[in-house]
Amino acid sequence: MEIEIISFGQISEFINHQKIEIDGIADTDAFKQHLEDRFPALKGIKYKLALNKNIVQENTEIKNPATIAVMPPFSGG
Amino acid sequence: MSAERYNRQIILKGFGEEAQQQLLRAKVLVIGAGGLGCPALQYLAAAGIGHIGIVDDDTISLSNLHRQVLFTTADIGKLKVEVAAKRLQEMNTQIGIIRHPIRLQQSNILDIISRYDYILDGTDNFESRYLINDASALLNKPLIFAAVAGFEGQLAIFNVPDHLTPGTNYRDLFPVPPDKGEVPNCAENGVIGVLPGIIGSMAAAEIIKLVAKIGQSLSNKILNYNLLTQEQYTINISNGSGYTLPKTVDEFLNMDYQDTSEGPQGYIEIDASELAKMQQVESTILIDVRERHEVPVLDKQIYTQVPMSEFSAFLSKEFYQKHVVLICQHGIRSVAAAEALQEKYGAAKKIYSLKGGIVKWRGHFLRS
Repeated sequence: MEIEIISFGQISEFINHQKIEIDGIADTDAFKQHLEDRFPALKGIKYKLALNKNIVQENTEIKNPATIAVMPPFSGG
Repeated sequence: MSAERYNRQIILKGFGEEAQQQLLRAKVLVIGAGGLGCPALQYLAAAGIGHIGIVDDDTISLSNLHRQVLFTTADIGKLKVEVAAKRLQEMNTQIGIIRHPIRLQQSNILDIISRYDYILDGTDNFESRYLINDASALLNKPLIFAAVAGFEGQLAIFNVPDHLTPGTNYRDLFPVPPDKGEVPNCAENGVIGVLPGIIGSMAAAEIIKLVAKIGQSLSNKILNYNLLTQEQYTINISNGSGYTLPKTVDEFLNMDYQDTSEGPQGYIEIDASELAKMQQVESTILIDVRERHEVPVLDKQIYTQVPMSEFSAFLSKEFYQKHVVLICQHGIRSVAAAEALQEKYGAAKKIYSLKGGIVKWRGHFLRS
């Protein structure tokens, strides 16, 4: 399975825009777990995933290929 | 209405006289006359939005001027709302500008936003953003959310349904606010002036589109903008679940928006004179929690440097001093550090945070 990862804000400081080849990731919960294992800095902060440009509100099946965005909240003004 | 003033947009194909009339009838509230608010206000006023309210309780400082383009050097120290209102009124004498030189709180926000048709959130902190989100959702007011961080911006429209989704709100993205210190703000992290200029102008464009009913709005979408790459990435928002959104005025008034100035706290916020006294107290450690690249550099003999990025490692170690004074640039990160220490030590140590930080008390630090 090919997943393109897009990240924003402070998250892009430790997760680059990248394409990964990965097997055994069936859904967004599994992807989230994988991401937090690989990038432990994610565990301490609030973020939201978007699968193929749609906000992930519940565990969702991931179909090959997929683009997943990792978005933190911004508050500056 | 002077048709000549708006001639260039009235003659625009797809806009016209009727759209202009709608702008003149619209009531828009801009919350925060800062980096986002200034450019938004300029374009909303110039375009002929008939009633514009401005909320801000802050005064203009020198470090605002690189991005808050309504203000001049001579305006330093004056109320932002007053200066902004005067400038905008000079620019467009045909519209009404309403000044709200106050800080929005649970007790006053519903009354103020109920007088407007569209709300623009250009504030700079999560407490305000959740307060504005919940109040706008409760009163079903279209909310234009604009925010920046580093070289990136976010823009979204809430409480406006489209053909697929009922109106969404900020809690559909982020159900609860981040913990203090989790996300740096402009004062702590810096921002390039033109970025809020772009995002604030985009916010004004979205309001004009909504009012004039042209184009496709960002309702139920969040646009992520990157200044360094000029890339935009728009994400569709759907209704989430499992969060608390107040459904009645009573519920709203009983929500906890964690206003730090009123909330219960175990640590004490001090000023520079109290800091000077603390420096004479035995068993006191002064900790500078800024990152190592930040200026001004303080005397490391007096101020122990423990950057926030290394603070969790510091928390796992022990130190003997009974009094701990936390210091940072603006007194925001030092509060986060104070809370962390308070949680670990409770009453075993006395924790202090320098309110306003080094920037506010520069004289004290230059002397010592």
